[in-house]
Amino acid sequence: MERVRTRDVDAFEQLYDGYHRLVFGIALRMTGDATMAEDITQSVFLKLWSAPDAFRDGNFSAWLSRVTRNRVLDLLRSRANKPAGEIPADLPAELSLDDDVFARIDAERVRLALAALSDDQRTPIELGFFGGITHEEIARRTGIPLGTIKTRIRTGLRRMRETLVEAVSQ
Amino acid sequence: MNEQPVDREAMLDLVAAYALGVLPAAEAAPVAAFILADDGARREYNELRATANLVGTIAVEPVDSTRSTRMKERLMAQVRTDAIAGARTRTPAAASTVRSSAVWGTALAAAAAVVFALVSVIQNFTLSSELAEAQRKTAVLAAEASSARQSEESAQRMLADVSAADAQRFPVVYGTVIRRGSHVYLAMTSLPPIPRGRVYEAWTLAKGAKAVAASVTFTPSGNGLTLVPLPEDADHLAAIALTVEPEGGSKVPTTKPAFVQPLS
Repeated sequence: MERVRTRDVDAFEQLYDGYHRLVFGIALRMTGDATMAEDITQSVFLKLWSAPDAFRDGNFSAWLSRVTRNRVLDLLRSRANKPAGEIPADLPAELSLDDDVFARIDAERVRLALAALSDDQRTPIELGFFGGITHEEIARRTGIPLGTIKTRIRTGLRRMRETLVEAVSQ
Repeated sequence: MNEQPVDREAMLDLVAAYALGVLPAAEAAPVAAFILADDGARREYNELRATANLVGTIAVEPVDSTRSTRMKERLMAQVRTDAIAGARTRTPAAASTVRSSAVWGTALAAAAAVVFALVSVIQNFTLSSELAEAQRKTAVLAAEASSARQSEESAQRMLADVSAADAQRFPVVYGTVIRRGSHVYLAMTSLPPIPRGRVYEAWTLAKGAKAVAASVTFTPSGNGLTLVPLPEDADHLAAIALTVEPEGGSKVPTTKPAFVQPLS
């Protein structure tokens, strides 16, 4: 990213080679439409090129994931193919200092930490992140009471964090 | 039984939902206010948001070679055009400003495509009235896109600032004054309703100044939650105050301040 900040096109190309499958993968999971995912990938990387300072520090993949998710939510809002109340609010993609703890975590560790959750906890978390839907919609689709969904999201994220912190400290 | 712990647990469940990004905008605002006002909630939010962001990293998807080649060629053509255009037009100082400016997103893609077209035209023809018109339209489109994007990013920047772990927080009556870098905010969580024809007015005291200057006026939302960014550079301020003033604001405070908060 340091080289991209100096407008180094070759460095940007390498960055694209390394991460476009991640951006495309998130967009595809969220939209289910490969053409749309392609456009979103284009848009996210252009954003990265035009504002490389938006990433400050921490886990780049995690930051890029949030940026991509926000971009998909923007698109869903602009296309108005869902009622506004069903589309969750964006979160700032900016990193907190705490992200430094997870700077070295790779996708395989994250996969293992998610796999260690019970289905009850994993489903609302994955559906929430990749579904681009609200907690109420998660409750409706799973047929589980809203209060239970909220608690499972919290306990699931907390347990996932504990697993990852343990992995980092080993 | 005291119901407070139950309410707090329910709010912390919402903080987790907020960290995952599954709250609708209408529900997100009060949760954000709770995060601002509660140290434990802020810690929980920062930890769970960092965890939630990692969820996306598992989504790496193979891209078939035809699509991959097409995507890369399309992107890199725009990036190279932008790099060339930037090198031709930017001084080093201007380049730094552009790098830190708000993101244009797809508008930039459209603008870059038009710039590419313009470069081609320049190479083949002398400047024509069509080119001038295209340039004018490009500038208008870019300005509109930039303005809309800046508003959205400004809101995101505000939330990032006020929830950041490294922000300075000064508890005051009715809420908190939050400073992060050169930005300063009034995060009011329990402002009393204000009579018709009156507004809250913020005042700033510049370092070394003997009198306060008017900053911004505002009225709280129905539930008393209000987040007000002050336009002044926090690095130049010694203190902030809040008073109630007639609608339209006053040039000097006319009522006793609700608070006066030094920024150090």
